[in-house]
Amino acid sequence: MVDSDLRSITPEWMDLLLRPIYEEGFDYVAPLYGRHKFDGTITNSIVYLLTRALYGKRIRQPIGGDFGFSGKLARFYLTKDVWGTDVARFGIDIWMTTLAIAEGFKVCQVYLGAKIHDAKDPGSDLGPMFTQVVSSVFGLMGEYETLWKEIEESQPVATFGFHYEVGLEPISVNLERMIGNFRLGVKDLIEIWKKLLYSETALWLESIARLSDEASSFPQDLWVRIIYDFAIGYHKGSVHRDHLLKSMIPLYLGRVASFVKENQKSSAEEVEEEIESLCQVFEEMKPYLVEGWSKAKGGE
Amino acid sequence: MGEVWKAAITDSFNKFLGKVITFLPNLLAMITILIIGFLIAWILKKLIFRFLQAIQFDRMSGRWGLTDILSKGGLTYSPADLLSRFFYWIIVVITLILGLNALEVAATQASIAQFFNYLPHVFASIIVLVIGHLIAIFLGQAVLIAAVNTQIESARFLSRAVRWFIIILSLTMALYHLGIAEKVIIAAFTIIFGGIALALAIAFGWGGRELAKDFLEKLSKGRDERDKERDNISHI
Repeated sequence: MVDSDLRSITPEWMDLLLRPIYEEGFDYVAPLYGRHKFDGTITNSIVYLLTRALYGKRIRQPIGGDFGFSGKLARFYLTKDVWGTDVARFGIDIWMTTLAIAEGFKVCQVYLGAKIHDAKDPGSDLGPMFTQVVSSVFGLMGEYETLWKEIEESQPVATFGFHYEVGLEPISVNLERMIGNFRLGVKDLIEIWKKLLYSETALWLESIARLSDEASSFPQDLWVRIIYDFAIGYHKGSVHRDHLLKSMIPLYLGRVASFVKENQKSSAEEVEEEIESLCQVFEEMKPYLVEGWSKAKGGE
Repeated sequence: MGEVWKAAITDSFNKFLGKVITFLPNLLAMITILIIGFLIAWILKKLIFRFLQAIQFDRMSGRWGLTDILSKGGLTYSPADLLSRFFYWIIVVITLILGLNALEVAATQASIAQFFNYLPHVFASIIVLVIGHLIAIFLGQAVLIAAVNTQIESARFLSRAVRWFIIILSLTMALYHLGIAEKVIIAAFTIIFGGIALALAIAFGWGGRELAKDFLEKLSKGRDERDKERDNISHI
């Protein structure tokens, strides 16, 4: 299964995505790409980090959009009645990846090269993409809580394909707009956030919003707390779920702006090390999530 | 003479006794109704409170903003406690009315009948107010988040405007249901909101026509500039 708007797809991709299934007996093949260091921000800020910390598998592109899967796994997917939910929209990729891992299917990843899409529709909105992906992640946490609570550390998965450097087009990022959106969120949405976050976390956000554009920074452990607190809040239902997800967007943009600013001059390898360091923080702070989740459940 | 005087006293005493004997069963009935009614009210209050705790009513109320409203209004009771007390007092009021009815005093019977005819309007108004409040909170929050994500600086003002519009609308509907100054309420609502709409139309349409022209030109140029400034980052 591949994205319909790819420009960098080659016939070799079919072989790469299917060979591990019919030769090595794998059930699920996830992609690995050579991407611009700032591409895939939802993956690099939330989805990869959470999937790795929760389910213990280091699938680098869990929502890559290009997958191979066995007939056995396809039949399993078809037993699920999710086609009227967000899963059937932007949530489909993370749903497929999570179920493959959580249900014990054999998973691997394969290097495909560059991932280049058609030119993006300027009118396309981050909102639905973000809410559908994150709601799928948070929703699946509820289904598989018995599993992820037991997992203490992550393991690498089998990786196939030849890793080579690819030329990538430069990316423009409007940092001012992102930071402005974050500041507006802190100004107007802080009362909603306080229903989900600890008071120290909310104060921390307010102090960051007061800093200048140059000085503002979104520390790693703050970001992890926010993701875990929002996941707990989603499960607890303390705020309407759709409102909870949409109110996360200014926080996400604040984090992305900080990440881009800090890594403007970094190489792709250095950015990958930064993401790896954030993954470690997600895994180290997992007891915080487990404790908060259990407390929320105890209040039910 | 002595016999007549004795007969008059005995007669008066017998009449009084007769009235007391006629009235006593009604009084006893009233006391019985009050005792049973208060007992039922107390038991129902406990049962409703336990049921509301079991269904996590306080947590749901927190989500809907009811807990905030109550604490801002100086009420220290939890929503579950308040609702169970509300039903307690409903039963107590009904008990008192039934008790008074049992006395069979003609003057109160007509008032009691009117009260029971009015009760459905009171319940309908309460339901309208509660539902109106919940809708106001939900839509106000939705507008706030949508406006922030669209980077509208006056997001909070828009949210409050939506919330107050729905609250005033539901208050108007509740008062209409109660039959309190119906025509005055409808007229006041029409005048206020019609007036606001007319004032905005005149302000923007007549007084701000040059401003509107500049605004539209800037919007058109701004859209081109915003397209140039858009990220071409791929979020997924």
